[in-house]
Amino acid sequence: MPLIFDIQNAIENNLSNNAFFINEKYYTYQEYSQIISNIRKSIKKISSDENFNVGLVTNDDIETYASIIALWLEGKTYVPLNPEFPKSRNQNIINQSHIKTILDSSSNAVFNSGMSSILTKQLPNCEIDLTPIQFSENTNAYILFTSGTTGTPKGVPITFDNLSNFINAFNKLCPNINSKDRFLQMFELTFDMSVVSYLAPLLGGACVYTIPKNKIKYSHIFEMMEDYKLTITIMVPSIINYLRPYFDEINCPDVRFNLFAGEALYLDVLEEWQKCLPNATIVNSYGPTETTIICTSYHFSNSKKNKTHNGIVCIGKDMENTLSIVVGDDEKELAVGETGELCISGKQVTPGYWENDERNEASFFYKNYNDENIRFYRTGDACFKDEDGDFLYVGRVDFQAKIQGYRVELSEIEFQVKSYLNKINAVCVAITNDLNNTEIGLVIESEDIQTTPLLSFLKTKLPQYMIPTQIKFIHQFPLNSNGKIDRNKLRTLFNK
Amino acid sequence: MERNDIVLKLKNILAETLEHTNFEINDALTAKDVDGWDSLSHMIIITQIEKEFGIKFKLRDLNKLDNVGALIDVIQTKL
Repeated sequence: MPLIFDIQNAIENNLSNNAFFINEKYYTYQEYSQIISNIRKSIKKISSDENFNVGLVTNDDIETYASIIALWLEGKTYVPLNPEFPKSRNQNIINQSHIKTILDSSSNAVFNSGMSSILTKQLPNCEIDLTPIQFSENTNAYILFTSGTTGTPKGVPITFDNLSNFINAFNKLCPNINSKDRFLQMFELTFDMSVVSYLAPLLGGACVYTIPKNKIKYSHIFEMMEDYKLTITIMVPSIINYLRPYFDEINCPDVRFNLFAGEALYLDVLEEWQKCLPNATIVNSYGPTETTIICTSYHFSNSKKNKTHNGIVCIGKDMENTLSIVVGDDEKELAVGETGELCISGKQVTPGYWENDERNEASFFYKNYNDENIRFYRTGDACFKDEDGDFLYVGRVDFQAKIQGYRVELSEIEFQVKSYLNKINAVCVAITNDLNNTEIGLVIESEDIQTTPLLSFLKTKLPQYMIPTQIKFIHQFPLNSNGKIDRNKLRTLFNK
Repeated sequence: MERNDIVLKLKNILAETLEHTNFEINDALTAKDVDGWDSLSHMIIITQIEKEFGIKFKLRDLNKLDNVGALIDVIQTKL
């Protein structure tokens, strides 16, 4: 049965249960279905042909979460827009995805030039209607824009078919989500880990607990876990790196399932963290946005030896609906133990970047595998497979970094820095700080200059997580044996 | 310790961590008002405060630090 009917049934079967806890307030599925219906009615009024992609301002409130389901019931695609991101970046996303209408729960419309906003907090109650219209499973459920190399974000569309295949796989990993579960949702809606963090609980009739924006995340997550006895938590590893100095204060026996994704997870911190969650199944997972949230998983064991490479916990095997291989330069599959690029195929793989033939040409390829012609996505992640068929993560094959789980093209930052500095060369490197979290270091090839104006400029162009946190100056960039800038050497500038 | 002394020490810690002094310490000041005071530098500031004042915050204390006034209150209870 199509996913959208499962969503309808789950809501209708749980009307008296709590669906959300947002900003100290509970909302039942009954209240949720009312708000969904109100928003849906206003969506029905807009022209259907012009509005296949609809913008969604990512506030932390019930209307924003209701907007997603309202759009889906109408067979439409949501494109999240973070109001804290620079205007130029959001405008680029709006233009690229031809957005004409934006659903906005703010009191005044955040985006007001050249498009209409539906202010979702100000709609009258109407009759509840959760019956979806008929639409193809190949319709996009959402498009997320990720960092692109030339300063232009690129859109990753995920279809309802991708999403239902993901949900089937996730439910095998984390079975029996039910109305007694309390589920952590710590992610900004522009990040795809948010999708599993609201959708998996809704499908099980559980309650979603969101973390307020503009708060120090890690300490709030802990308080929420303890005070509200959360049972299922999905997080990025940087959270436990931050919490590490306080592990002796944390005891959450109610957590039954804890999943990590989005960044490299280190075994030493995980082994200590496990003691804070004595009853939880702990799983490390992996997946680019292009293959729908996560597609490989590895169960942590507190009795057996866990697999690692350079201290990083194994990312395990494919879940239900993907097939991944490690390939060399010629797209040939490599032998066990050999490091190459991880490539993923299967029902969770996006149909391709949004209106971007060039990127699609570079990132997807067809290959004869097991007597079938299969389409693979190049992840840009270097991995190898061990004798048991488990994948181990080695690093990036290109110049990407993961900052707080967000994927960042270092060249996009360099592009903006250079456009400001005018003819001065600059390089960004990913550096690991004392907490094992990744930061962005910027090296400028010049005498020391005042960096405040540069940083102010960057803040108008890039989201906060892409702003370099440490800046160094060097008279001349060191070169490696290939005559390229030696990024590894530049990275050592930051190891104080 | 007098509130004024705490303010002075705090000012130095912020200036050293953030590498600028474009802020005026008052009770209503929040991280949002100060350039460069994000979740990352917040960590460092907290650690510096613990070192300088010889105190240790509890995880729950961190959620109460909505502004500088609240921060000073929490520091005072620990001295």
